[in-house]
Amino acid sequence: MDLLVTTFLKIVFMLVLVIGLVPVLIWAERKGSAMIQDRIGPNRASVAGIRLGGLVHPIADVMKLLFKEDVRPANVHGFFYALAPFVVFFVALLTYAVIPFGDYLEIGGKRIPLVVADLNVGILYVLAIASLGTYGVVMAGWASNNKYAFLGAMRSTSQMISYEISMGLSIMGLLLIFESLRLTDIVAGQGDLILGFLPKWGVVIQPVGALLFITAIFAETNRTPFDLPEGESELVCGYHVEYSSMKFALFYMAEYANLVIGAALIATLFFGGWNIPWLSRGIIEGNAGTLLPLAMILQALFAGVVALLFFRRSVRERNKFGDARDREPGFLGTVFALMCAGSLAGFALQPWNVGPQAASVFATLLQVGAFVGKVVFFCWLFVWVRWTLPRFRYDQLMNLGWKIMLPIALANLVITAVWVALI
Amino acid sequence: METFLFYLFAGLMLGSAVMTISSRSAVSAAVWLIFSFVNAAGVFALLAAPFLAILQILIYAGAIMVLFLFVIMMLQGPVLPAERERRSLWKILLLGAPAAAIAVTLISWLSQSGLTAFAVAAPETAGTAERVAELLLNRYLLAFELISIVLLVAIIGALALGRKEEDLPWQ
Repeated sequence: MDLLVTTFLKIVFMLVLVIGLVPVLIWAERKGSAMIQDRIGPNRASVAGIRLGGLVHPIADVMKLLFKEDVRPANVHGFFYALAPFVVFFVALLTYAVIPFGDYLEIGGKRIPLVVADLNVGILYVLAIASLGTYGVVMAGWASNNKYAFLGAMRSTSQMISYEISMGLSIMGLLLIFESLRLTDIVAGQGDLILGFLPKWGVVIQPVGALLFITAIFAETNRTPFDLPEGESELVCGYHVEYSSMKFALFYMAEYANLVIGAALIATLFFGGWNIPWLSRGIIEGNAGTLLPLAMILQALFAGVVALLFFRRSVRERNKFGDARDREPGFLGTVFALMCAGSLAGFALQPWNVGPQAASVFATLLQVGAFVGKVVFFCWLFVWVRWTLPRFRYDQLMNLGWKIMLPIALANLVITAVWVALI
Repeated sequence: METFLFYLFAGLMLGSAVMTISSRSAVSAAVWLIFSFVNAAGVFALLAAPFLAILQILIYAGAIMVLFLFVIMMLQGPVLPAERERRSLWKILLLGAPAAAIAVTLISWLSQSGLTAFAVAAPETAGTAERVAELLLNRYLLAFELISIVLLVAIIGALALGRKEEDLPWQ
């Protein structure tokens, strides 16, 4: 019964992380592109004058998509047309089951491993689900009965097949070194230090593999510079051109969910997962009495400074707009002031003499925070690259996949195998 | 719970296999076949063979069927749903009834003669990646390498057949 409850809670945590990151990512994409292209970006939608720098726009989008009419073109293949968005979204969410988001959580003497399903073939499961991801796209393109959609689906399939091989091969070197297919083992193995100072992250011991894997993930998620299946300028928008309303929203959400999973995989396999470099679990638990007050002070300082800045703006720009938007700086200042007060109130609990129980929970929270932080950083990397690099031509894409990445991945695998055999 | 899951996966697998051979459009047949493969993976997972289950999805459902669908869609192109025909039920019954009778006879004969004799008790770890690799790279190494060479020859042959005549090096 305990197992059922904890598994359910872990699934809920993962779903909240993923689905919660989707609107934030859509916001980051718009605001980030605006920043990179020297524009202002979304700043119009507001709730009672509160705009949160455009963060209200995704909420407005969701409302719009929910209430839009679901237009179904006349000549589509009904069953597959309706099935495709569900397949895409379902497959996008499946992979989260095997990604460890923390070491373990100790409550009442019981250790709960922080991974939904700790499969001993975890990494193969990830590859298997990734290979299923093509079907939704193919079905959508074919069932739409539209030449643009069909071309987009064909491109997507050939692209995914081509880059799946490099993706699989680029991980093999890592598997040889950590001698396990289990993701929790791979993450735990990355907690060590090489020569006492270099974290044994995948990117340190397999730099070529990391580069190939990140490139292949970009291709698998159909992100720029590999977004030929969508290719707005030539294919309108590819396989989901005939979809509207919530069906379109599912495609859109799946795209960003795939992006989060890609970021989580990069972080897990090559950037230490939940490991914090130089701060192993033992060190955190031993020094919780210093680290916890330090974290509180830093948080209070940060929130206090931000609150002061907002209050200053609310005084200076008292009547800038002459409507509800003038209330925003005051509101945000109050929120941050409350955060600051909350952190300071934490000192009433005497964080400098925490028990081992609380220290363990604190260490777990720090590790989960490190994992989420890494995921958010790699999500931002996806956005960053999208607005920096132009799209490939189709023959360049195929050349890169088959003639450059595949031989490099093979060579990397052979060299790693020889290295592992010799040592 | 395990029995329930077994009947669920097995039922879905057989049902989608029937749908595979009875659907008119090649694309729906392929999709039903994929669903059948995924359910077969479920049965493998229940038999304590997680490695086999994942490979079933990775290779059959993931890689091979993607190429199947790809080719079918390439050759057939977008198809209108209007061409669906009425299936004649009696034809299916005429062909299916003898087959079903044979199957039921076989099953009942097997269960009377002691079906448990066929089930080999395998340890829980028999289906893990480590065990499979151990057998494949020690005991069955020769067969494994021979199959690899056959596959390599097949790939080279397919490439040679796929190229245009004038591109071939000996022309």
